[in-house]
Amino acid sequence: MTTSRTTQKVQRWIDLLTTLLSHNFPLTFLDLARGVPQYLADGSVDAGEPSPTLKRMFERDKLELRNMGVPIETIGEEGEEDISYRLRPGDFYLPYLEVAAQRGTLKPKKIDRHGYRSLAQLTFDADELVAVAEGAARARQLGDPILRADVDSAVRKLAVDLPLGAASAGDATYVRQPRERADAATFEALSDALFRQKRVSFDYRAMGRDETARRTVEPYGLFFLNGHWYLVGRDVDRDALRNFRVSRVGGVKVNAAKEGTPDFVIPDGFSLRDHARSRNAWELGDDQPLEAIVELRGRSGAARAAAALGEPVEEHPDRRCYDVRRRDVFARWLLSFAGELVPVAPPALVEEFRAQVAATRARYVSGERA
Amino acid sequence: MSAAEQLKRILTVIPRLADGEEHPVDEVAELVGIDRRKLVADLTSVSERYDTPGGWVDGVSITVGAGHVSVRTSHFLRPMRLTMAELCALELGLGLLRRERHAHELPAIDRASERLRKAITELPQNEQHEGMRAAELSYGGDPTHLATLSRARKAKKKVRLRYRSGSAKESSERVICPHALLHSAGSWYVVAYCETGEGMRIFRVDRVEEASQLAEEFIPSREADVARLAAERPFVGEPERTMTVRYSPRIARWIREREGGELDADGSLVREYPLGDIGWGVRHVLQYGPDAEVLEPVELRGEIVRRLESVAL
Repeated sequence: MTTSRTTQKVQRWIDLLTTLLSHNFPLTFLDLARGVPQYLADGSVDAGEPSPTLKRMFERDKLELRNMGVPIETIGEEGEEDISYRLRPGDFYLPYLEVAAQRGTLKPKKIDRHGYRSLAQLTFDADELVAVAEGAARARQLGDPILRADVDSAVRKLAVDLPLGAASAGDATYVRQPRERADAATFEALSDALFRQKRVSFDYRAMGRDETARRTVEPYGLFFLNGHWYLVGRDVDRDALRNFRVSRVGGVKVNAAKEGTPDFVIPDGFSLRDHARSRNAWELGDDQPLEAIVELRGRSGAARAAAALGEPVEEHPDRRCYDVRRRDVFARWLLSFAGELVPVAPPALVEEFRAQVAATRARYVSGERA
Repeated sequence: MSAAEQLKRILTVIPRLADGEEHPVDEVAELVGIDRRKLVADLTSVSERYDTPGGWVDGVSITVGAGHVSVRTSHFLRPMRLTMAELCALELGLGLLRRERHAHELPAIDRASERLRKAITELPQNEQHEGMRAAELSYGGDPTHLATLSRARKAKKKVRLRYRSGSAKESSERVICPHALLHSAGSWYVVAYCETGEGMRIFRVDRVEEASQLAEEFIPSREADVARLAAERPFVGEPERTMTVRYSPRIARWIREREGGELDADGSLVREYPLGDIGWGVRHVLQYGPDAEVLEPVELRGEIVRRLESVAL
């Protein structure tokens, strides 16, 4: 009878975990191996001298379990003779989760057995429980399958004690997804590269030039803005920070060289939160910002909402000031208000706007196609 | 399927099962988010052992019947603590929630985050997970209006709204019953029954000038109706006719990516939209300048020319 490699590995990991959890003192590898049948298979443990193959297997198991979040503790320095390992139930198992409500505290059933009695207890107030449930729902709505899997996995653990389903029942909030979405494999590969700080290469469809080119990027983060996920990172060939819409990324290859070693360091000054801050299209770009003064001449809701994005101008209650890096984009945005928002300074912006008005009108009057 | 995924599933399912009782297999499978075949396969694969000694399975009994499953073990009776990746995922959602809510609701969100942090496994590599993802559901309006609408929706209370629609020159007051909030393409909307207009309407939240929650309660419409309305285009109002727009080859690819459709031989794209509001049609087309042209209706073409000619610089 044969067992698949995956099943063998899962069985070995379960044996390793149960052996560690059954002891309230650190175990040397030899002690540990006696609780894991697969570690005994080559006979080297019984001979008192674990084989190099077996040691490598254990090191890999330990690393992979830690990557899954299992806090196996090493006592002593790696490489020393008397090194030992420990996994305390309190560090591994979820604390008992209670809910404090007006009618009293909702307590989970406690397990009266060794290893479970010492588990910590964590009390959530009812409004905190609702926040957890609604926050989980909001993160799920963003459309990143890896993020969703992490949320689902967390909620399943918490829901053993907490009534999260009932807590989120009233959250009628929707986040509409864009038509074009990235596939799960792309998210998975990019998340893996991010976590391990490995370079990635991928095919990227540049919409401006309508061509697909191979890009090599050091990923700094993934962010969701205006309905889309973006990867931000250093484009290695251009030596510049760039954003890539994840739905336009394909054929991701994570650098396989030196698997356990990061390829790069994210600069200290980089803040993903600041970078991902919502900005208007005219605020993006490398040009020096110019101060654009715009006059509000209309009263429609759209024009007033747009005016609210600018800063007041002293002594001119009908004017607003905007920081603009992309003049052409800003001029088109103003054009969409059909004369309700009109630029008055600087002259270059006024001229740009005038040209846009003339070119657009010509499209209708002359009948010439763009 | 990786070993890590399978182990995670097993560590999730055992606390649900290992009380010695029989559990309906479909119910358990649904709780852990897998189908029954995978659930049974997970349990049988880890218990089929040919080792001596048998490791974990020596103290375990598993029964798999036609519709029920049961497990007895002394290990894994509690779920594993949250991992850092799981915490970060929840905190991303809590961060979004923070920006939708009133100041007085923020402490509960922050406390929830603190509690969750006490439930994670502590590992040196935890900090690597932090800051890998960020998200913002952008919003250009007064944040208190979104928070008021959110709170009133939860409390099923009516809201008095001063609102100026995209085309209206003056704002108007109305009483609405907020059923749902919707974020779409960079804007927040409230899906509501409008007592003034006597029908379901969608209001763009950054055009709300004032919002105040009233004491009067309302009975929500069926959830499915609200979800259907939220899934439709939020900005077209009651469509009466169709607007046809041609996008130039310079921008057609972006429009196609967003809205679908096939490019013409010259690289341009023609799309049709329900047109409920002329003002919306004008704004929609003019944002692309000379790269978009209304083909129909003719009156809208005339309106665009008229408005462009009235722009005084």
